[in-house]
Amino acid sequence: MKQLVVENLGKIYFDPRLGERVTALEAVSLRITPGEFVAVVGPSGCGKTTLLNLIAGFLEPTSGRILLDGRPVEGPGPDRGVVFQSYALFPWKTVLENVAFGPRMRGLPRAECEARAKRYLELVGLGHVAQRYPRELSGGMQQRVGVVRALANEPEILLMDEPFAAVDAQTRMTLQEELARIFEERRPTIFFITHDVNEAVFLADRVLVLSKGRLREELPVPIPRPRRWAPLVEDDAFKGLVGRVLQAVRAA
Amino acid sequence: MTAFEHLSGLWLRAVERWPVLATLGPFLPLLLLWWAVAAAELFPPAFFPGPLEVARRAVELASKGILGAYLEDSLLRLVVGALAGIAVGLPLGLLLGLSDRAHRALWPLVLFFQAIGDIAWLPILIVWFGFGLGTMTFVIVYTVMFPVLMNTALGVRSIPEVLPRAAASLGASRLRILLEVVLPGALPNIITGLRNGLGFGWRALVAAEIIVGTSGIGFMMFDARRAGSVTEVVVGLVVLGVVWSIVDSWILAPLEKATGERWGLVAR
Ligand SMILES: Nc1ncnc2c1ncn2[C@@H]1O[C@H](COP(=O)(O)OP(=O)(O)OP(=O)(O)O)[C@@H](O)[C@H]1O
Ligand SMILES: [Mg+2]
Repeated sequence: MKQLVVENLGKIYFDPRLGERVTALEAVSLRITPGEFVAVVGPSGCGKTTLLNLIAGFLEPTSGRILLDGRPVEGPGPDRGVVFQSYALFPWKTVLENVAFGPRMRGLPRAECEARAKRYLELVGLGHVAQRYPRELSGGMQQRVGVVRALANEPEILLMDEPFAAVDAQTRMTLQEELARIFEERRPTIFFITHDVNEAVFLADRVLVLSKGRLREELPVPIPRPRRWAPLVEDDAFKGLVGRVLQAVRAA
Repeated sequence: MTAFEHLSGLWLRAVERWPVLATLGPFLPLLLLWWAVAAAELFPPAFFPGPLEVARRAVELASKGILGAYLEDSLLRLVVGALAGIAVGLPLGLLLGLSDRAHRALWPLVLFFQAIGDIAWLPILIVWFGFGLGTMTFVIVYTVMFPVLMNTALGVRSIPEVLPRAAASLGASRLRILLEVVLPGALPNIITGLRNGLGFGWRALVAAEIIVGTSGIGFMMFDARRAGSVTEVVVGLVVLGVVWSIVDSWILAPLEKATGERWGLVAR
């Protein structure tokens, strides 16, 4: 397992329409240890997606560096699996082919790719839709496939950018519990972005507050696992933490 | 039940059994009108042959083997020209779709040259290649190339940015991204471009055959005019329409629909 280190990261965009430079991130440093679940919260436009895209290798930093196990990140790679807000499933591939895509790109034999894809689909109860196309699935099911597609490739770290923002509240809670369960069982390393403070506290071991391109605060979440919504909504420790994060977000 | 209702009921059931009838149906009144006008001899029969005469002439030309041979010539030229047009248009379209720099540098040129109609090249092509295959091939390749090129570029550029990103972070190389994401993502547009290109190509081919041909349906029509046989010209017109309707509605349109639907791009 590899450790992710972000040092003094800065990103300045040039907006050609406005003809001016936009500072999206400034001096961001963080460290994620293997098996840790870290969530970043912050208001819209504070630079969350920029931070994730830099770590994923989709963008180049203006300053600072990103190290994975001591080696600088250069471009996207299978060691960092990404789950997108818009699911980003390949519409011309079946659900099974979507999930088998990563293993196949890494040169595993076809039968093994499919067996692995099936196994991971079962993990989220989607074995029965393996042969369907993404558009035939509900939003919640599509995002389950998105999560499982990233997981099946067995990355060192999972990067998730507001993955549950586009589904209804009911489905969102189910998906959050499912992710919590997967995390409890397999302990992947997860870097999770959201603007939903409840979601961040429910899922993460540590919550980072980002505002105007800078990390403002860091709050550990000492709530024991397994975590499920039914007991936690009434839990005073949980509610207290949510309040503190909310305060930090609003103060920032 | 009136006789009309009875007839329309019969017709609807017949269409259900043989869907081809739905395509042919609208031609019946047209044929009748044509037949009536010709039979009334409003125009001299030599100028305005009736459907029966045209059909008789078509059968005659077909049994002599002329019609089949000319049609084969025309279709072969279309296929060869189209393949060459795709071979040029598809890679160029991919390049223009993938590279902003290539797009900036080449798009104005593409717009300029596609604006010059294929036929407009004929005078200078005749000087360069003479009356023959070279000229005709150039015209078809030219005509097929631009719709394929432009639609491919459009298709590539309309692929959501997250799809190649997702593929890259799943470990796909640049080549695999091209093959597994860019090409399938642009496929519905590519097929639309192909359908348009072939349609334009077919028309351009006939025009080129009329002007520079030594065989083919267009040549047959021009030759018939020289010999004063309006009937044969009309045979040519009918053949052009029939052949293209068949190619388009039996091959190209279903292909376009199938990819569009499977890709989830067509609203159901
Ligand atoms: N390609 C770009 N060019 C110019 N400016 C950009 C670009 N992408 C983002 N920005 C700007 O950078 C800032 C941070 O954007 P970013 O998308 O990272 O925010 P975010 O926290 O993810 O917001 P949201 O919660 O709405 O997704 C914003 O001010 C945005 O307008
Ligand atoms: Mg964002």
